[in-house]
Amino acid sequence: MTTAIVGFAIVLLLVLLRLPIAFSMGIVGAFGYAYERGGSILDERGLKATMSMVGRQIMDTAQDYGLSVVPLFILMGLFVNKGGMARELYAVSNAFMGQMRGGIAMATVAACGGFSAICGSSLATAATMSKVAMPELRRFGYSDSLATASIAAGGTLGILIPPSVILVIYGLLTETSIGKLFMAGIVPGLLGIVFYILAVRWTVWRKPESGPAGERASWAERLSALKSTWAVLLLFFLVIGGLYGLLDFQPLNLAFSPTEAAGMGAMGAFVIALCRGGISFAGLRDVLKETSFTTAALFAVLIGAQVFSNFINIAGLPQALIAFVTTYDVPPFAVIMMIIGIYIILGCVFESLSMLLLTVPIFFPVVVSLGFDPIWFGIVVVVVTEISLITPPVGLNVFILKGIVTDVPTATIFKGVTPFWIADILRLALIVLIPTLVLYLPNQMGALGH
Amino acid sequence: MLRKLQKQTRAFLVAIASLSLFALMTLMFFDVVLRSAFNMPIEAATELTRCLMALVVFAVLPIISTSGGQISVDLLDGVFHRLRLVRIRDAVIALVSGAALIEPARRIWILADRAREYGETTEYLNIPTYLLGSFVFLSVLATSLALIVHGIAVLFGKHSSEGAKQ
Repeated sequence: MTTAIVGFAIVLLLVLLRLPIAFSMGIVGAFGYAYERGGSILDERGLKATMSMVGRQIMDTAQDYGLSVVPLFILMGLFVNKGGMARELYAVSNAFMGQMRGGIAMATVAACGGFSAICGSSLATAATMSKVAMPELRRFGYSDSLATASIAAGGTLGILIPPSVILVIYGLLTETSIGKLFMAGIVPGLLGIVFYILAVRWTVWRKPESGPAGERASWAERLSALKSTWAVLLLFFLVIGGLYGLLDFQPLNLAFSPTEAAGMGAMGAFVIALCRGGISFAGLRDVLKETSFTTAALFAVLIGAQVFSNFINIAGLPQALIAFVTTYDVPPFAVIMMIIGIYIILGCVFESLSMLLLTVPIFFPVVVSLGFDPIWFGIVVVVVTEISLITPPVGLNVFILKGIVTDVPTATIFKGVTPFWIADILRLALIVLIPTLVLYLPNQMGALGH
Repeated sequence: MLRKLQKQTRAFLVAIASLSLFALMTLMFFDVVLRSAFNMPIEAATELTRCLMALVVFAVLPIISTSGGQISVDLLDGVFHRLRLVRIRDAVIALVSGAALIEPARRIWILADRAREYGETTEYLNIPTYLLGSFVFLSVLATSLALIVHGIAVLFGKHSSEGAKQ
């Protein structure tokens, strides 16, 4: 156990020194594995066994059929962006909420929630919505802090509302049903939208000048905006409907696995973008290039994490933690609170996927041995990960915003994010205290889905 | 001349990854449609998916590794800048990362060579698996060598480091 803890500390140190996360986990994992196998990091037999494991891991991870869902969902998100669907979602939210004080920021949050239903990445949601919403928020004189914070926080919903790349990876890592995980993300995702809207209300209540009311749309305008969202709804029902067997009737007979759902979603989004003239040959080339770069970077982290996870397992850290919890009779709730605390601290340093890959192999066996539901724990992990996306000093969504809205200081965005961060903590508390909020929908699924 | 070759190699590798990704999406779509509508699934879809995935990931691995595309944390960049240690740090990172891949590359070569000796092929299309193994080997080796060259160039000031660009 001590070896594993030392290994964990070295990974943290290397990451802070800016060694890529994939290499930090891979190098420490490999030497740790050699140490556990041979009693020394330079033992010949230990090193041979390690290299055999690393070589096999590199070959297997990149050829894993289940993981092909990752590039396909990323691809789908980028095609959706080209298809102009974010603009339509924003227009409809704005038509219904824009006339209220703080309404355009609320519409931004709602549009982010809608966009999350066709995009599985928080960073993509924040990047897309910042281009669509920021000009409008500025036109109506919203304060920079509220405007940027509502996009950064709203963007985090991308990884919770299905489809979600992070939930897919959690599902593959823990052999939990991806269909059930997606279903479990819906209520916490909707709660996220409501809580963020309340955070906007609170901000404008404190500082009315930060979010002036916009123009009231007529009912004819609202209905017209609503009609224009058909492509979003079509894509959502294609992916989710196919996944849960809702399209499995004559003559369609469409029922997908998560991987196939991602492929169908990507193709659907591509066709929509193509029909709308939103994508040229150069645009297609850029999308494919961006997706392959992101995929390679994620897979490098995945391979590094698998090597590290093998070391953690052979070092017996999960078993030692279970033994510790059992011996000292630590209350299960206290264990969950400690795990959440660790996640919030790690979230200050780690990028979301790396944090998940680094910690789930350690915590998952402990949580399951204590009798908690793996689906519920997956959602808790993702909600904590969402919080990390807007937590200083790393807060990746904030930096995405900063990269696009360059004239707003990072400190201003973080200041504006505070009420949203508190809303997130309250939502997390609710999910932890009332697991039914997460588990009701997946429990109703029965045999539906994969 | 060297720069031109580098640019063309890069474009070639990006093209492999992009075409493989597009093929992956198209394959998945037609597999589902043919299975659902005509009860005629593409039997080789799973093995093709696995091959295409490896092509997507490993074609661009050398590029992302040497152009700052790997996921990393820049939290202490300010400190390194103040101490004027960015160049040394980035050179060390590239050299360590490059060196770390040498042995795994050798191991992948052994696996590919063994697959060739045993005559291993995929189930439906009978594609020799050593071909994919050799491609992965070349990619990991190229990444390793590119990182080492990059590290030396950064160390001797021939190339600006990632941290220094920010």
